[in-house]
Parts: sequence; C-alpha cells; structure tokens
Amino acid sequence: MAAVTSSMNTVWDVEPGESRKPGIVHVVMLALFTGIGIVVGTFGSLAVPLGFVSAFWPGQAVQSIGAIWFGWWGGIAAALFPLISNSLSGSAPLPVSIMYLPGNLLQGMVAAWAFRYFKTDPSLKTQKDWWVWIIFGAVLPNLIGAAWGSTTLVAFGLVQQAAQFTTFLGWFIGNTIPTVILGSLVLKFVSPLVVKTKAFCKGLWA
Amino acid sequence: MTNGPDELRPARLLIVRGMTIMAAESVPVGVRAPKMRKTLLGYVPIVSPFYDYHPVTRLAMYIFFGVAPVFIDLPEVNVVLLLITIGLLLWGKVDLRRLRIYLPLIATVAMFMFTMVFIFPGQDPSYTPIRIGPATIYYQPVFFTFASYWRLMAMLFGTILYFSTNRERDMLVALRAIRLPFIASYVVGLSIRAAGMFMEDFRTIREAEQARGLDTSAMKLSDQAKLYMMYLIPLFSIALRRADEISNALFARGYTLTGQVEGGGRRSDYILNQYQMTTKDWGWIVIFMALFVAAAVAQYGFGLFRLVNSPLNIYLRSLLGIP
Repeated sequence: MAAVTSSMNTVWDVEPGESRKPGIVHVVMLALFTGIGIVVGTFGSLAVPLGFVSAFWPGQAVQSIGAIWFGWWGGIAAALFPLISNSLSGSAPLPVSIMYLPGNLLQGMVAAWAFRYFKTDPSLKTQKDWWVWIIFGAVLPNLIGAAWGSTTLVAFGLVQQAAQFTTFLGWFIGNTIPTVILGSLVLKFVSPLVVKTKAFCKGLWA
Repeated sequence: MTNGPDELRPARLLIVRGMTIMAAESVPVGVRAPKMRKTLLGYVPIVSPFYDYHPVTRLAMYIFFGVAPVFIDLPEVNVVLLLITIGLLLWGKVDLRRLRIYLPLIATVAMFMFTMVFIFPGQDPSYTPIRIGPATIYYQPVFFTFASYWRLMAMLFGTILYFSTNRERDMLVALRAIRLPFIASYVVGLSIRAAGMFMEDFRTIREAEQARGLDTSAMKLSDQAKLYMMYLIPLFSIALRRADEISNALFARGYTLTGQVEGGGRRSDYILNQYQMTTKDWGWIVIFMALFVAAAVAQYGFGLFRLVNSPLNIYLRSLLGIP
C-alpha cells in the first residue's frame, strides 16, 4: 500500500507552473489603498483627537491589511497615506509626518512578514491565524509605531520627555483597539475575495 | 429679450492657467454665486490671485511656510509667520469659515500639550517653580511648550494654506514639473482621486441603506460604530474590482510598470503644457528657497532662533527674577 502523504497548500504557496511578477495592477492597488488609507486615516484623526494622538485611529488596520494582502505595495501605501491624511486632518505637520515614515512602514510590513513566515491564512480560519494576526498584525506593529511616533514628537519638542510614556500608551491603545476590531472584520470577510485576484501578493512583491 | 429672475445669464468660461472656471454669471439673478469649490482635499476658492502663480511656486511657498518653522524656536517669529499665512488665506479669497473643522484639533492640541507639561514637567533641578494657587508649574518647560505650540500652529496653517489654494490637479502639475518620476506622480494622483471615489461610494452605500428604511439616528452609538465598520467590506470589494478595471485600461493604453515609453523617447505631458512659468514665478521660488535655507543656516549655524534669544522669554525671566 502506498504511503499517504498530505501536504497542506496554503494561499502563500506558488502553484506549479504559476508565474508571478510585479505588474501595473500592483501600482494601481498601491494607489487605491493609499486613497482608502487617506480617507480612513483622516476620519480617525478628526474623530476623537487627543492632541497629537487619536483615541481611535483605524488607519493602522489599513496598514496591516494592505501589507498582508499586497506585500511591499501595501507597505509603501502604509507609509505614504499618513503623509496626506495627517496634513488633511492637521494632526501632524509635514516634517513630523516625514519622520513618522519608518514607523508607518514597519506598522504594515511586520504583519506582511509574519503572515508569510508563519503561513497564516488571511481569512483567519484557525486559532493560530487569529493569534498571528493579533500579535503581529495589531499589537507588535502598534508597539513599534507608538514608540517611534512618541519619540518623534519628543524630538520635535511637541511633547516633553517626561510625558513620552503617557503619549506612547495613548497612541498604542488608540491604534490597537480599532485595528483588532476593524482589521479582523475586513480580513475575515474580504480576504477570500482578495486571494483570488491577480493583485494579491504571495511573495512580498508579487 | 429680457432676463427674468429665473433665467440664467450665459455662462462665461475663463481659462486660467489651464483651469477652466465657470464664472459667476451662470447663476440666477439674486442668488449668491458660490465662492468656494469642494475638492478632494478640501475647499478651494473658485477665483483666487494664487491661480496666477504656477503650482510649483505654490509648492515652494508650502515648503517655506509648512516646513521652515521646524528651524524656528522663537514664538514671536512663528506667530508672525502664522499671521502672514492667515493674511495670505484672506488675500487668496479662501473662506475662513471652512477652516472651522480644524478648531477642535487646535484646541485639543493646546489642552494636551499644556496638560502634559503640567502633569509631567520633568525632573531638572534648574527648573523654576511658579505657584499658581494650589498648583505649581515650572517656567522652563511651560515656556518651551508655549513656543512648541506656536511652531506647530505655524506649520499647520502653512499646510492649510497649501491645501486651501491647490486642487489635486495643481499638486500633480507641481510634482510633474519638478521631474518626479511618472510612476510616482501617477500614484499620488490616483491615490487622491481614489480617496474621492471612496467617499462617493460610501455615500452611495449609505443612501441605498437609507432608501431601504435604515434610520441611523434611532441606533445606539455602538451599533452605529459597527455599521460604519461594516461599510468597509463592500468598499474594499469595490476597490478590488476598480483596481482590475484601471490596470486593464492602463495596459490597453500601453502603460508599463516603469512608466517608460515603449521604444524610448520622452513622454508627452499634456497637463504641463497648460501651465507656463513666468518671471514672477521664478522670482518667488528663489525667494522662498532662499528664505528656507537662510532659516536653516540661521538656526543651526548661528543659533539665531533659539529660545534664549526670544524677547518674550527674556522679558518674562527678568520679571520672574530667573537668571
């Protein structure tokens, strides 16, 4: 009797004969996701402003989701859209937003890397998927983002060093909660559609 | 033939700097003509002296007013820059009432900054305590916060000035004129347009639900929040379909990932041909760039804008007997 072997195919596995490379559709998706982020980020910044932080910023959900689905294209969108949404909402002037860039990029790419490394299904089907999402899609990116952002505010003299921890805490909580709620909903219900599109990136670029 | 109150006078089209503007004569008699037009980035005046300047000039102005305050610690200078910016908004015929949406942010930022410095003043023993009733504040961190607040306001209003006097097309022209790679300027343009499409789709979905009898005013706040979040699902789906359509359209027109023209050669840029640089544009660009560089050199080379040089700081310190 032949040995039965099972190999679980994940959405990240490239099918035999499949060729994936970056194309125009990825650039378009980058632009569209940046547009979505601009609207969501501006709304979040204006909704419940607490000085420089927002008590409710769902923009980070868009950052994580975009990078999970579209790899670096989503990561670039994650870095770019706060430049515009912060300017539109007035929550941070341009020089501060430019300094936020590395933090914003990491807020997206941490989730992108984790989902691919742990072969996590973006539709959040199993408990492991949920844990990876919450830890690497919500908690860790926002720890990094809040640390970077609050340090930037101190560097620009907008917040005193002594208040940095409080700022960090407000930033972290205000970003993480909407990410967990909103991001979970979107990943659960929209990922099954996204993984069938040619824009979906199994690798980090295609 | 006479014009009755409900007749429209013939519309007069003005072509200014490549922008077609419908003049105010197209509205019925007795009706006030709109002065502002809604864009994806905010409201811009329909007619403004700013439109006589090339978008690159306005971008240079933004770089000065929106970024240079980073180099300036002196609150006096930042307040002057702020007042100049407000003056430019008025000169540019921007309706200042539209800027009311920024008032909550301006107030909460002040409350946040001063509350933080009151609760967390720092531990430096050189700080001078000032008792105000039962509370104690410390002069140095409070003045530093005061100066930082005005620097932030100067930068914020510099940004407001730019977005209140430039449409997304102007932004695009400025980016193309400074030779940003086509692919980058395309991404910026499509992003801004996508933001507008996204908001339109959101409005359409809400209207469809209201047509089906949904009354959001009767819902609890938590249910309203859940409802708004659920809107994102169809909106993301629409975005996915749109990405497919746009990329197929671009491919059909011969656009490539790099934005290069197939076979080499220079890409013709129709939009840039509609805008011409004049001598006054070059003059103002040189002035703004020179002022920007001068501010940086003055601060980092000579410390001219440091807080110790602030007349208000000097006056207050002498008043309080702080050396």
